[in-house]
Amino acid sequence: MISATSIVQSLLSGMAEGVNYSLYCLGLAFVFGIVRIINLAHGEFLVLGGYIAYWLLVKWGVNPLLALPLAASMAGAVAFVSYRVFLQRIRTSSELNTLILTFGLGIFLANLFLQLWTADIRNIGVEWMEQSLTFFGIYVSVAEILTILISLAVVFGLYFFLTRSRTGMAIRVTAIDRDAAALAGINVERVDLVAFTIGGLLAGVGGPLLGMLAHISPGAGLHITVKAFILTVLAGVGSIPGLLVAGMILGVGEALTVTFINASYRELFGFVLFIVILVIRPSGLFGRRL
Amino acid sequence: MGYFTRAFVSERTAGCIVMGFVLVLPFLLSFNPYYTSVFVSALILGAVAIAWNLLAGVCGQVSFGHAAFFGIGAYTSAVLVTKWGFSPYFGLVAGGVFGGLGSLIIGIPAFRLRGPYFALAILGFAEVMKLLALNLTWLTEGSLGIMNIAPLPALEIGGLKIDFYASRTTNYYVVALLMFSVYLVVYFLRRSNLGLAMSAVHGDDETAAGIGVNVFRTKAIALTVSAACTGVMGAFYAHYVRFLSPDTAFEGYWSVMPIVASLFGGMSTLIGPMAGALVITGLDEFLFKQFFETGHKLFFGLLLAVVIVWAPTGLFGNRVRKNAEGAKR
Repeated sequence: MISATSIVQSLLSGMAEGVNYSLYCLGLAFVFGIVRIINLAHGEFLVLGGYIAYWLLVKWGVNPLLALPLAASMAGAVAFVSYRVFLQRIRTSSELNTLILTFGLGIFLANLFLQLWTADIRNIGVEWMEQSLTFFGIYVSVAEILTILISLAVVFGLYFFLTRSRTGMAIRVTAIDRDAAALAGINVERVDLVAFTIGGLLAGVGGPLLGMLAHISPGAGLHITVKAFILTVLAGVGSIPGLLVAGMILGVGEALTVTFINASYRELFGFVLFIVILVIRPSGLFGRRL
Repeated sequence: MGYFTRAFVSERTAGCIVMGFVLVLPFLLSFNPYYTSVFVSALILGAVAIAWNLLAGVCGQVSFGHAAFFGIGAYTSAVLVTKWGFSPYFGLVAGGVFGGLGSLIIGIPAFRLRGPYFALAILGFAEVMKLLALNLTWLTEGSLGIMNIAPLPALEIGGLKIDFYASRTTNYYVVALLMFSVYLVVYFLRRSNLGLAMSAVHGDDETAAGIGVNVFRTKAIALTVSAACTGVMGAFYAHYVRFLSPDTAFEGYWSVMPIVASLFGGMSTLIGPMAGALVITGLDEFLFKQFFETGHKLFFGLLLAVVIVWAPTGLFGNRVRKNAEGAKR
């Protein structure tokens, strides 16, 4: 029998999960919105961040929260190098080429992880994070609260960076009209590089959080990329606050699927949602019309 | 090969060279039966790559999830044969039909939109199909997998008995025949009016629509034929390996490798993917696995990235001249 508490519990944990989803997909959505590249290696960048935090914890006992900046900068560095070495050269050719290229980079990274860290699933667990607090019969773990706070901070941080800083404004102008931005003296090539690197950084922040809440494995990346793309389409391209809402919808929907139908069909919800969105409203909830 | 001879060959000649090589290969490899089975999977891959390239190279729609159709074909045939006692030959056909039908589930919503939606939707589709294979246990036995799938029954043609159970070489020639059939399907399809429409869509959807091509229908047909051919190969795989689990049937290999093989061999020709599949399998078996035993597939990722940036026409793309019919395109 499904009690009211369990419904509330699943709603809340779905929302918590949803906030983190929006962080997991932030990098992909940002790069897609600005540079018009769908980074199929996004999930692998994220997993890389997770493995860095895992390594730091296991080898030197570094607190995963302190590992966040390093994890993010490693993923950002890989994104930077990928852009400079590969993407820059085919930036102007067809969209499908960049898809295939980033797909290849993703395969490369996933198998590199497999070689370096084996196929075992890894959890970034620290004891004090796994303690849970109870409010009116509803359980929340310290890790869940922490990850939500971090996710919200990053999402709003990016939002304010884009709306308040000079670089952020340059990035937005370039996204709206490349030629006009170039005429206004913005180095658009540089903006692309910066935006792609930021995309990597954002992915790198997500990895340790994923490792804390669940686990990371070499093959997890593609899964994250698919989910991130579903959320980007659901939110509508170019809408950062929309990502939060989209993340919540996915998170709550999945949690309810687990409660009412079957835990094994959890992943199906996102896909069905994706098909429905494509059919009914391809521009997404908050996006511009295509 | 082309790089050494510095000469152009027609596509038909290139096709004959590759096919000839395929026919004599078992004799070269007869010293070790293991290598025969390696190249049986190379030819399965070759056929899937040709089918993939119909969609990507001819019609311009890249699929990152052909494993979905491969797995659908494999499971269709395995379930029909083991649960309901159909003939495996019927299973091959049914695998193709269901692969083709399955592709419409994703093709119809995704092709209504321009841009990269299809490429990404199909990534998710492959994951969902694997998930269904895991969870529909009454049909697929879930993660336990389907065991003891019947091999293709022996054929008797004029007193000559062809036994698929005993001999790897027989299986090799059957899969070579299947691959050649897929090649012919794609070859004639590309020469038809529909093939011209596909090329037009590849060039530019909007212009194609402007000259009266039904873009949606053209893409959907390319996808269905490609998926159906992949489904047949999946069904063959089920009867060849005789064991299916969601992880093997929907293995990411069948999504990734057709792309690697096609790009490596050259997407602009029909023979390129086939040749690419043989070369890639050889490289993997004899070279990559020597470096990293577990992560040897990282070379494929690197290869994709390097080929798409520095040699987008592929290994044979520059050297194979399209024949007269092809040149019309």
